[in-house]
Amino acid sequence: MNALLTDAVFDPIRIPLDRWFNDFINWLTFNYRPTFQAMKVPVEALLDGVSAVLLWLPPVVFIALVAIMAWRVAGWRIGVLAGASFTLIGMVGLWGLTMVTLSMVAASVLVCLIIGLPLGILAARSDRFQAALRPVLDVMQTTPAFVYLVPVVMLFSIGTVAGVIATIIFALPPLIRLTDLGIRQVPDDVIEAAEAFGSSERQVLFKVRLPLALPTIMAGVNQTIMLALSMVVIAALIGAGGLGRPVVEGLNALRIGQAGIGGLAIVLLAIVLDRLTQAFGAGAKRG
Amino acid sequence: MIRVESLHKVFGPKPDEALRLLAEGRSKDEIREATGDVIGVQDVSFELKPGEFFVIMGLSGSGKSTLLRCINRLIAPTSGRVLLQTDDGEVDVAQAGPSELRRLRQEHLAMVFQRFGLLPHRTVRDNVAYGLEVQRVGRAERVRRADETLEMVGLGGWGGVLPAALSGGMQQRVGLARALATGAKVLLMDEPFSALDPLIKMQMQEEMIRLQRQLGRTIIFITHDLDEALRLGDRIAIMDDGRFVQVGAPEKIVTEPRTPYVADFVAHADPTGVITAGTVAVPPEHPRVDELRREPGARVLAHRTQADVEIEVADDGRVLGVRADGAGAELVPIDTLLAEEAPTSRYRDRAAVVRADRTLRTLLAARNLCNLPVLVVDDEERLVGFVTEREIIHAIIEKRGHNGDANGVTA
Ligand SMILES: Nc1ncnc2c1ncn2[C@@H]1O[C@H](COP(=O)(O)OP(=O)(O)OP(=O)(O)O)[C@@H](O)[C@H]1O
Ligand SMILES: [Mg+2]
Repeated sequence: MNALLTDAVFDPIRIPLDRWFNDFINWLTFNYRPTFQAMKVPVEALLDGVSAVLLWLPPVVFIALVAIMAWRVAGWRIGVLAGASFTLIGMVGLWGLTMVTLSMVAASVLVCLIIGLPLGILAARSDRFQAALRPVLDVMQTTPAFVYLVPVVMLFSIGTVAGVIATIIFALPPLIRLTDLGIRQVPDDVIEAAEAFGSSERQVLFKVRLPLALPTIMAGVNQTIMLALSMVVIAALIGAGGLGRPVVEGLNALRIGQAGIGGLAIVLLAIVLDRLTQAFGAGAKRG
Repeated sequence: MIRVESLHKVFGPKPDEALRLLAEGRSKDEIREATGDVIGVQDVSFELKPGEFFVIMGLSGSGKSTLLRCINRLIAPTSGRVLLQTDDGEVDVAQAGPSELRRLRQEHLAMVFQRFGLLPHRTVRDNVAYGLEVQRVGRAERVRRADETLEMVGLGGWGGVLPAALSGGMQQRVGLARALATGAKVLLMDEPFSALDPLIKMQMQEEMIRLQRQLGRTIIFITHDLDEALRLGDRIAIMDDGRFVQVGAPEKIVTEPRTPYVADFVAHADPTGVITAGTVAVPPEHPRVDELRREPGARVLAHRTQADVEIEVADDGRVLGVRADGAGAELVPIDTLLAEEAPTSRYRDRAAVVRADRTLRTLLAARNLCNLPVLVVDDEERLVGFVTEREIIHAIIEKRGHNGDANGVTA
């Protein structure tokens, strides 16, 4: 009661920002909904493609592939860990949902790479672009994930694709920032040497800047993947499929066991993906 | 091969204004007050012949690196021309368009850096091949030429490792190989050996001399180290405050410094490998030489400090004989003497003959073997002059020849 009473103090200078916000979103939806719906098309296609492959692969083959890849890039311990994690996920009956989540993460990270790498490269090249981008990234990173859901639902309606789009917005900033940082950290004398031998700007970018920035960029990819995974449960609130769904439904219906194994699968997935991308990053550092 | 004309580089907001003030004769400090500009290079001109080894020296901040980078336009010159001889005639690097500039850097101007500037993620071989890769030379050809060049700098067999696995000296060999591999006729080297230990540095200098003899590139080489400059340079330019204050052969720089700045610079130089016998020797006309008597077609001369030694010189300049202690002495070329076992006491019956282009170091050796004036002769065996202790000591202390007394600045 007290809280509401103090609010009354501001009544004379009260601004109806909530209504304005509402009007703005309505205006956007009314005028541009087709545009936003069209933006869903490529994301949806990508998502469908990835999940079709993952769901088509027999689990045994998938587990073997992941374990071998993990062993090659990160050593036998991580190989065993990866194989065991996915086997356990299958044994608790969450294989299908895990593949859906994995394709959502893969699709959103792919889109993040497609958008984030060029933006990071541009930011590294131009101080002015970097200065313009910084506040946008700050807002994207500090806004709580739940807050994204409102406009995303209004513009993209509900479902898995809308969940992926919310994930992309949430997971994009560290990739842009670390691409920018990695490129700016490349020592001047190496760039100078490349230029002295007549490299074009493209050649400097692809033969010098990006390879030398790769460890830092991989750290950004790692963070982006972790953020994407952290969105899995939240995305389920707006109807996205995958491992978030048993967690949300389990909590609503107080089926703790169901929510618990959903959470466990997410954690296992996170650990395996984290170790794998870190190993890739370290590999890039060694050259 | 390459000609630089009136090159200026101004760092700062109003370069045109700064150039105008410079032309009015205002000082660097006044210009900085007025415009906030820093003058990096000021009115530098020089021309190099193909195969010339040109060394630029100067204190820190004198503008050496800036000048070198203006030549391949890593730093854009504010005014002036950098004319490069290519197969399609003379090209001004300062005016070249972007693709032309890239082509000039790829094919004509290679660079070696103080801090090596190697690509850490590429193998030694791929570093050396970088310049060729940028020119889109095919993989097989690239590897062939890279390996060939690595062999040349003594790193055959190291192609497959990453630069971080090599010592500093070896890394700079890679840097050198990268510059040589493109076949560019002009090499720009910015303090390439400064980061190396003295011993490795010496090895690299010898390597450089050997490679230069073999390849005959035109080299612009920056250094802080006077002895390095004297050892390597065909000509040396001394830079101060963005300008060339003196350009000349090593011996001239040491023996005839034109300003106190240059004199300070060369004060601690070791002159024995630089000053030549021709400069040190006193000619027959010098007051320190007496004509004892004339004979038909010849003169008999004596050096004041060894008045008892008679030297007979024909009118065409050939040395006919040397008499000491009432007996004739044998005239022996210095290299013959050096090849023999050293005598227990210095010869009084043999006189050393030394060519005028040999160094003071050779004169010291000659004087150490013979107690008769050393006879310095030109290519046609005609007498240039005599050398005794007196001339040698004078040359070492004053870093000048006998005839340098009148001009030059004393350090
Ligand atoms: N980018 C720049 N902006 C402003 N001033 C510069 C810049 N680069 C060089 N200078 C100035 O130009 C002058 C010449 O610098 P330069 O690096 O050419 O000297 P240097 O002779 O190579 O010195 P060192 O022996 O220390 O390498 C210095 O006064 C330096 O402060
Ligand atoms: Mg320098």
